[in-house]
Amino acid sequence: MTVKQFLKSNAFKCILVLTCIALVASGLLAILNDLLSVSDEERTARAIRSIYGEAVGYEDLTASLDATYASNEYGSIDNLYKLENGALMFKSTGKDGYKGGTVSLWVVAQVDGNGDFVSFEKVVYAENSKQTLMSQFKQSTFDVYTVHNDKIAEGGYWWVTADDAHVSNLVSGATKSSQAVNNAINSALYYLRNVRTGGDAQ
Amino acid sequence: MMNAKRFRNISLDGVLRNNPTLRLVLGTCPTLALSTSAMNGIGMGLAVTFILICSNALISLLRKVIPAAVRIPAYVIIIATFVTIVRMVLDKFIPSLYESMGVYLPLIVVNCIILGRAESFASKNPVLDSACDGLFTGLGFTWALTLIGIVREVLGSGAIFGKELWNFRIEFFGSAAGAFFVYGLMIAIFDGVYRSIETSMRRKKFYRQADAVLAGCGDASMIDDCARRDRAEATATETHTEEN
Repeated sequence: MTVKQFLKSNAFKCILVLTCIALVASGLLAILNDLLSVSDEERTARAIRSIYGEAVGYEDLTASLDATYASNEYGSIDNLYKLENGALMFKSTGKDGYKGGTVSLWVVAQVDGNGDFVSFEKVVYAENSKQTLMSQFKQSTFDVYTVHNDKIAEGGYWWVTADDAHVSNLVSGATKSSQAVNNAINSALYYLRNVRTGGDAQ
Repeated sequence: MMNAKRFRNISLDGVLRNNPTLRLVLGTCPTLALSTSAMNGIGMGLAVTFILICSNALISLLRKVIPAAVRIPAYVIIIATFVTIVRMVLDKFIPSLYESMGVYLPLIVVNCIILGRAESFASKNPVLDSACDGLFTGLGFTWALTLIGIVREVLGSGAIFGKELWNFRIEFFGSAAGAFFVYGLMIAIFDGVYRSIETSMRRKKFYRQADAVLAGCGDASMIDDCARRDRAEATATETHTEEN
């Protein structure tokens, strides 16, 4: 087939039409993305509004996260904010979920004047990867994390099965996802305890 | 230009006769997943309507340019573009609806209602007809989804459009099984009502034709001629009376 024949062929027309449609579509989307994109600040403000039901002022402390503890055995701390009511708000991601996926939560923790953990005030779902059963986790599941603060303040962590060292919170049938959810909470807890003690906390 | 009869046919097809949800049972996945509340139903319905109008119009406009061999990939690119635009707009201006629609919003790209109308209507008809078809098919999808959403929200959450009505609620209607149950019930009710109206209209037409035949108008095809003749005779009689 010569070049001239190819240019007159149906195959060339198909390629040309598809390419043109794809180029126009991507150009249009690029322009609209600039106009309609939601900034990180706006997303944080939305998250705070969804947690408190109203706008609350905050200071972004993400840049000052201690990298040594931000990534830990339970997961990682993606963002950290100090709210105007004194509470610390983490965006915390727990690992070891279903198929190795993760669950991210907004975790609001109250700390005392020394920076020691006092209580979990609010826990709200943020996002997940690969967790097909996340729809089974209602807000009531996350509210459980705010009612055993005494036990947690003594030094325990959350787990899917209860023992002396751990407090349990499990959604039946979604054990692996429950583990990732617990890990997201534990990651925030680990960070708080170890930043305060310089890595001595367990 | 579209005439009134064609417009009437397209609108009735989309909203009632070929209702995508209750007659053709298309778009079942979002119907079951997003009919937990009336607001979700309206939101999904309007998103699909917007995408249907835009994609139908554009596909119709390009129908002579797009080669048959690549028509499906071309349709998917066009539909995906509009779906992405809707996602951006919802994320920016109605984040709560964007969150509640979740994965079903991007899945509109492969919604069989949209691909079906592109393939069976927009690729063969002019732009205005195709846009109208998109509008009315979308409205048919919207009202069906909203109705299912209202039933499930009232029975499953004791609320309507987010406003609490009473404390009584049956959890079953909020579940997937409840969605199938209400959907099946709606199809049965719609089909029953549709068939009874259709039968009644056919019966009326039959009696009209039979009366015409008995009145000496010959076979049914001559009914219009008979009617015209009767009107002409009546006019002539009135004129004659006035003259006298």
